[in-house]
Amino acid sequence: MISEGVSIVGSGHGRFGKRVNVGIRELAHEAVTELFEETKQDLNSVDATVIGIAADEFNGQGAPAAVITDEIGLSNKPTIRIESACATGTASIRTAYSLIKSGLHDTILVVGVEKMTAISSAYATELMARAGDIRWEFPFGCSFPGYYALMATAHMAEFGTDREMLSSVGVKNHYYGSKNPVAHIQKEVSLEEAMNAVQIASPLNLYDCSLISDGGAAVLLTKDSLAKNFTDTPISIMGIGSGSDTMQMARRSSLTSLNGAKQAAETAYKMAGIQPSDVNVAELHDCFTIAELIAMEDLGLYAPGEAGPAVVDQQTYIGGKIPINVDGGLKSKGHPIGATGVSQAAELRKQLLGEAGSRQVEGAEIGLSHNVGQTGQFVNVMIYGRN
Amino acid sequence: MTVKFGHVSTEDYPTIVDQFSTNLINDKFIGNKCKECDAKYFPPRTSCENLHKEMEDFAVPTDATLKAYTIIHFAPEMLSSKAPYVVAIGELENGMNVLAHLVGITAKPKVGMKIKLKSQKLSDDRVIYKFTP
Repeated sequence: MISEGVSIVGSGHGRFGKRVNVGIRELAHEAVTELFEETKQDLNSVDATVIGIAADEFNGQGAPAAVITDEIGLSNKPTIRIESACATGTASIRTAYSLIKSGLHDTILVVGVEKMTAISSAYATELMARAGDIRWEFPFGCSFPGYYALMATAHMAEFGTDREMLSSVGVKNHYYGSKNPVAHIQKEVSLEEAMNAVQIASPLNLYDCSLISDGGAAVLLTKDSLAKNFTDTPISIMGIGSGSDTMQMARRSSLTSLNGAKQAAETAYKMAGIQPSDVNVAELHDCFTIAELIAMEDLGLYAPGEAGPAVVDQQTYIGGKIPINVDGGLKSKGHPIGATGVSQAAELRKQLLGEAGSRQVEGAEIGLSHNVGQTGQFVNVMIYGRN
Repeated sequence: MTVKFGHVSTEDYPTIVDQFSTNLINDKFIGNKCKECDAKYFPPRTSCENLHKEMEDFAVPTDATLKAYTIIHFAPEMLSSKAPYVVAIGELENGMNVLAHLVGITAKPKVGMKIKLKSQKLSDDRVIYKFTP
């Protein structure tokens, strides 16, 4: 094990959206090309790759990591494919971090990618529902939005969380997505539209749900002592925490928070040596609006029940107490599953470098990424800092 | 005849699930618990999560309280013809939670309402459980 830390020394982000006439290899290529355009080194500097792809069923390619490395000229270096449902991206970064800390490799390219729109929405809904317990919960046809809707009704009953609070999350995320050139939907939505949209899994409606998207993102990780070879401005991985929970929703001790997220947050804060109040900008896993509210509470940014009122009060906009998902989040930027956690890292890197343009959180020094797989069975909290 | 659980089978069920389904079709709600550590399961499991093997049956209460619900409008392909339907989590009187459909309601469900766990015969050899008010 090496004693020095690990830094992010480059990032690339493809356009998220319904991408036609491209497969996972083109989506990966797009992100990796952008990464190396702004890095002092080329592909020869990479010792290994970690490829995050959540589900082969979406794109049809078995053993997809090899197709990606072939496309980006790294088929001569070791590779591994990582899967942790919607937390695949951060699980990939966590894996790369560990491989570097162990001393096995010095520099690792992480690519997260997913192509989801080639299949029908009904089939995509079925595939995602199959990530619930197929023996005891899938037979009841609980869709993926359905699991979060269960948490929503429990949260509403316990804390008085209401329709406006949920919709205010979507309104905010679309506001910032409209300013993000790589976002899937670059369009604002009014509170009225968001509150009255078609029901998907009540109480969650269309504007409470993240998007089914295609896209790729990449980050380059190396040990601190090599970082300056790649960039004058490396970003530190200060903390990583992970957590889990039962597969069956019915076996959870709480339906209003994710135990795995609390566990992950506590570990990440401790490793980074910071408090929740030290975070300047946060990327939270808003697969559904209720998920962003629960995340705010699980991460200790707000007390249980206080997240909803804070969002209505615009405390999570830039200039507020803690800016959240100012890239549009999963809701508006999009959610190509394997890419999401890597996209969060790329966005936070830009924020910490002061390169986020009209969405810049002024003077941001510490960024937090919260990435959740399925309904909390896989959670990673990452803390990034400006060196 | 082996009784199967659910509208369709998505995996090869172990014996414990078939036994559970046979009990259920006869209106018996039988979970199991670990002889060594008393961990309780409903529906039952082949063995205990604490890696113990000896299990014994016990009957669970069917009176429950609604803890959470959702009305599924956009369903997974397999059940899309049945939408909209209500999926609920009910807390049984012994504190265990169960996820099932909530049927037979005339108004919007309310968290905290009293519900009852019942068996529903889907065909001669298929059964599932559900909640009703």
